[in-house]
Amino acid sequence: MELPIIGDIIRLSRDPKDSLRLSRSNLEFWVNLLIISWAVAFAIWQGVGFAITVGTVFAIWAILSVSLNLVVGFTGLLSVAHIGFFGIGAYAMAILTSDAAYEQLRTEAIPTLGWPFFAALPVSVGVAGLVAVVVGIAFNRFRDDIYVLVSFGFAVIAFNVFLNWRSLTRGAFGIHEIERPAIGGWVFDGELEFLALVLVSLAVVILIAWFLMTSSFGRVLTAIREDEQATEVFGYQVTHYKLAIWVISAMMAGLAGGLFGSWTTFVDPNSFVLMESILLVSIVILGGLATIWGSLLGAMAFVLLEEGMRFLPFLPSEFVGQGRQVVLGILLVVLMLFRPQGLVGRYKL
Amino acid sequence: MRALSKKWVALLGVLPALALVAFACGGEGEEGETFKIGVMESLTGPGETYGTVAVQAKQMAVDEINAGGGINGRMLELIIEDSKCNAQDAITAYNKLTDVDDVKIILGTSCSGAMLGAAPLAEEEGVILFSGLATNPDIANAGDYIFRTSLSDALLGVDTGNVLWADGIRNLVTITEATDYAEGVRRTTVEQFQKRGGQVVGEERYPSDTTDFRTQLTKLFNENPDALHVAAQAEFAGGTIIKQARELGYDGPIYGEVVAIGTTALEVAGEAATGTKAIITDLDPANAKGQEVLTNFRNRYDYVTLPWYLGSAYDNVYIAAECLKQTDDDQDADGFRDCLYGITWSGAIGDDYSFDQDGEVVGLANVVVEVLPLAERTQDNQGYRVLGSAPAE
Repeated sequence: MELPIIGDIIRLSRDPKDSLRLSRSNLEFWVNLLIISWAVAFAIWQGVGFAITVGTVFAIWAILSVSLNLVVGFTGLLSVAHIGFFGIGAYAMAILTSDAAYEQLRTEAIPTLGWPFFAALPVSVGVAGLVAVVVGIAFNRFRDDIYVLVSFGFAVIAFNVFLNWRSLTRGAFGIHEIERPAIGGWVFDGELEFLALVLVSLAVVILIAWFLMTSSFGRVLTAIREDEQATEVFGYQVTHYKLAIWVISAMMAGLAGGLFGSWTTFVDPNSFVLMESILLVSIVILGGLATIWGSLLGAMAFVLLEEGMRFLPFLPSEFVGQGRQVVLGILLVVLMLFRPQGLVGRYKL
Repeated sequence: MRALSKKWVALLGVLPALALVAFACGGEGEEGETFKIGVMESLTGPGETYGTVAVQAKQMAVDEINAGGGINGRMLELIIEDSKCNAQDAITAYNKLTDVDDVKIILGTSCSGAMLGAAPLAEEEGVILFSGLATNPDIANAGDYIFRTSLSDALLGVDTGNVLWADGIRNLVTITEATDYAEGVRRTTVEQFQKRGGQVVGEERYPSDTTDFRTQLTKLFNENPDALHVAAQAEFAGGTIIKQARELGYDGPIYGEVVAIGTTALEVAGEAATGTKAIITDLDPANAKGQEVLTNFRNRYDYVTLPWYLGSAYDNVYIAAECLKQTDDDQDADGFRDCLYGITWSGAIGDDYSFDQDGEVVGLANVVVEVLPLAERTQDNQGYRVLGSAPAE
């Protein structure tokens, strides 16, 4: 896996004078250093408690961005459907593990299944994968701009299913009392334990993504991105490759969804709106296409920007929320103006 | 490229600099001198209107309290966070308030989804979550530290069902926005209406971004209903439904809740809204405190919307101030909770109200209002007249 910052730091420690001179023109080195320093400073400054929360949000977004980069960056299929698979994973976890006595509440009732977390998590991943197979077979017929449009359609359909299939999802009321992970009598109810679990999941996702992208399979995907028809001419079943990476990516999003549902212990359709999908694509582009490290960096930069906005001191209290959104938007526009290929990316969209 | 790189690095360098400024501003030795209360509202996203009004009303109340000398000689300070109407942002906002700002009392949220997202954490950690706006019936079961001055949708639906029946409506059609608030109102309204003997002959739902309701309305009116019930979350949609219903030639009665007769809804619907009945929580014109709050709010912000909700948010701060006066400790959530259970309050939204064992408000009631003709609508009457209390079963 490419970790440019580590290589730079090793060079710097071996030959500080020479490396520093080289690094002056190495933009990526400084970007990496800045974001990581910013993350460390943020954690120290805000204390462990909030850093754990921000770390959990980062890890969930990082799983999503790494998985989406497999499709958008490595394979060249611009999809905004990812939030749908994220939602499917979250809802699968919610429906299977929620133990609220809904019949006692005065709102929509759904069956209470009471599965344990670790039994439900593979199902979250599997259901997202199954839906991806069905959707992917249809999507394989499309490419380029039309692909964006149909993926947009899927995100809208998924949201509406979450909102309107009330006998299963409780519609707008959402599902609460979702199970936290437990092994024997040890419940991951602390934020630190949960962060550890999410980071382990992220590590697994990174390893799978790295393995895929450094294998011959990954090289075919890169070839598809560069020229799909030429790849076909060389005898590769392009549709199979595209379907496979689509399903793998969706399963990773399902994993993120399952973790998200358990972390929040409450899900409703508002968490899976199309806007979130667009933000996710922004993170992938911000970090850099076709780079796993870029996805991690993009997610880190985004979460730090958004959460960092909470500490801007000069906004009037009555307009604090709107002000943060405006500042965040401007920063993202400026980043894209100066760095359209993303923080550590090599390819433009 | 080299020059560009410097600019780029300088730009990113601004971020830590901003952080340092924030750090410097936040650490000027005010700790221990002020009572700190967290506020979580939907300042952006779908509940932005409610959240903004709530924050403005709360800030106004805090400024009044501080201008009057504070609480036991100490100033009151709000730390405001955006919970954006969803669970994830509510949790990060909650954790920021409790972990970074060390807050034990949080006023909010304006969105039920955000409230239900943060409530399990608040309950587990013994942090007060006190809302003036969230209305989802599920919140009643959210825990011992969860309170609200807003009336549950369950009660609103019962009242609406009773009003429909009392007005002689027997065949009803409903059009409902697919949100927790609107769905909750529709469900309890229909339950109560059917319990009284009424029949629902048609029902339609629409997603929040819909602007054309003609097809759904035409389908509903083909059932020849006695009345149309509009359960909307967004005022624009509520007003548009009423307007398009009249454009389609429907001249029967229309019923709704607070959203359908909000300032924006009435502006959109215009004359078409005349005669629309709504079952709402309203600031009593005879309640001097409520009217004073409205006037002060209008003078300060140059507008008024959702008057009852802004009154509710305003009262929340004064109730919190009273409880802080008793506990004299903003870290004593248990004392604050016990204070809320024991308090009887008279403020902008009513007199002598209190909280039951579920943290639900007791002593406030809904009223029935009717929208006035366009020529008679003024800023003072909000465009409607109060007909009286909602009838009991």
